[in-house]
Amino acid sequence: MRLLCAALLLFALALPAQAERLVSMVSREEVAITSSFSGETLTLFGNIEPEAGSTDKFVEGPYHIIVVVTGPWQDRIARLSQPVFGLWMNTQQVLFKAFPSYYHVLSSGVLTDITSEALLDDLDILPERQARLAAQPGKGDAVALGNELIRLMTEQGHVGVNTTGVVFRSDTFYSAQVTLPSDIPTGPFLAHTYLFKNGALIAERSEGFTVRKIAFERFLGQAATGQPLLYGLVCVALALFTGWLGGVVFRR
Amino acid sequence: MQIYLPIAELSMNLFFLVGIGGAVGFLSGLFGVGGGFLLTPLLIFSGVPAPVAVASVTGQVVAASTSGALSYYRRGQIDLHLALYLVLSSVLGAFGGVATFAALRAVGQLDLVISLGFLLLLGFVGTLMLIESVRSILKRRAGIVVREKLPNQHNWFHGLPMRIRFKKSRLYISVLPVLVLGLCIGFIGSLLGIGGGFILVPALVYILRMPGNMVIGTSLLQVVAMMAATTILHAVNSQSVDILLAFCLMVGGTVGAQFGASAGKYLRGEQLRALLALLVLAVAIRFGFSAIVGPADPYSMAVVGAGGVI
Repeated sequence: MRLLCAALLLFALALPAQAERLVSMVSREEVAITSSFSGETLTLFGNIEPEAGSTDKFVEGPYHIIVVVTGPWQDRIARLSQPVFGLWMNTQQVLFKAFPSYYHVLSSGVLTDITSEALLDDLDILPERQARLAAQPGKGDAVALGNELIRLMTEQGHVGVNTTGVVFRSDTFYSAQVTLPSDIPTGPFLAHTYLFKNGALIAERSEGFTVRKIAFERFLGQAATGQPLLYGLVCVALALFTGWLGGVVFRR
Repeated sequence: MQIYLPIAELSMNLFFLVGIGGAVGFLSGLFGVGGGFLLTPLLIFSGVPAPVAVASVTGQVVAASTSGALSYYRRGQIDLHLALYLVLSSVLGAFGGVATFAALRAVGQLDLVISLGFLLLLGFVGTLMLIESVRSILKRRAGIVVREKLPNQHNWFHGLPMRIRFKKSRLYISVLPVLVLGLCIGFIGSLLGIGGGFILVPALVYILRMPGNMVIGTSLLQVVAMMAATTILHAVNSQSVDILLAFCLMVGGTVGAQFGASAGKYLRGEQLRALLALLVLAVAIRFGFSAIVGPADPYSMAVVGAGGVI
């Protein structure tokens, strides 16, 4: 994480000096998962301002924003099942290493209108591009399976591209709604904001937020991994007790 | 009402969970089967990750079978002596099954092996049970008096060495077929993620010639013990037992099992067996369907590990 931050910083420094800077914020830095958690909506908002030390009093657009929200990485396998001698078997499978468990692209317009396809590819913005990067050589068509993986995750609501996701409230102030589904993976999330003007990338910023279980849910999660034998015994004891209690209550 | 499941890492409707737990619990009390072979596919279909579904259902099966087993115990319909031998050998078999499970997963095609395993096993057992139970129902209709106690037909393996007298079941048979049966149930059960009650019930009836009124209680007790061991095995190995998910299913399951056990008193043994046979065949057809006709979506995905942090 530190390496990535450093890399981003270097990248930011390497950008040509611009007249604008981006100020952005996420409405909550920590999303707590409790027993009644059924998804959450975060708001990402920001403003485009004159660069610090600049003599400009205001900035002039039109601007475009693309926000990429990335969740914790997971290793995923996509498989293709085909009939072999009348039986359906998994004939192709490709491993996608360190693929984001959550990947949503929000933008203030159609992506190809905002900037060139070449720059979109360079910045690895599109989900398909992420799949191509994560694909490991295996027995299967990595491109086709990558696209199918994106489709399956889109159906789950974990991947998406929303070209109306970023709304400009004024010429320079924008906001974006980030929807986290109830089966959101826990861990660190990154919201990376790109600012475009006339098709060129002129500023970018990263905001982080964390999704984590708290209280009882956190306790259970830690018990399951920290004290697995005890946890298993408690499960069995609970099962036996519940079964016994059911028998007593319903005894007639 | 949504409830967040901390190990499955998703939230589900509480009433849905209690409801399917109750429905499957009813069947479990009625037939003396664990119900895992119904509940696990239901949960996976509802979006619970497969390892969590398999592991948590084992916990639910323990609870549902406990209340069933207790009510049969009170009616004196459990042969503890015979169950002891079954339990010990099935736990041994479970270790073999878990090892085979891991080996198959390493080779790949585990889904296919499980589908075919269910298809062959359930299809075979279901067909046999259906034929036998329909035949005895027809006999009863025709007015032929069916003896409550199965005739003392002894197979060759009943006469193997190490004969033991099981007083409650009025059996004097070799312990070897009992142990082999336990080993097989433990192996198949842990491999396919099921309690094995639907194999054990007909096996006790047709192979060991156990009296009908002892079969279901003894089978339930065996399922409780074996699934308790499997739950602990899952908790330690894969850490995928979701105690909240299991508890929601348990609450429904224990209530359902009570009603199932009561309903079972109004049905005759061969009617129960015919119904169970139909249920088993239906699940077999469903598995065969997916292996032969193919899934609705030829593409699938699975999470195989944490990819590190950002």
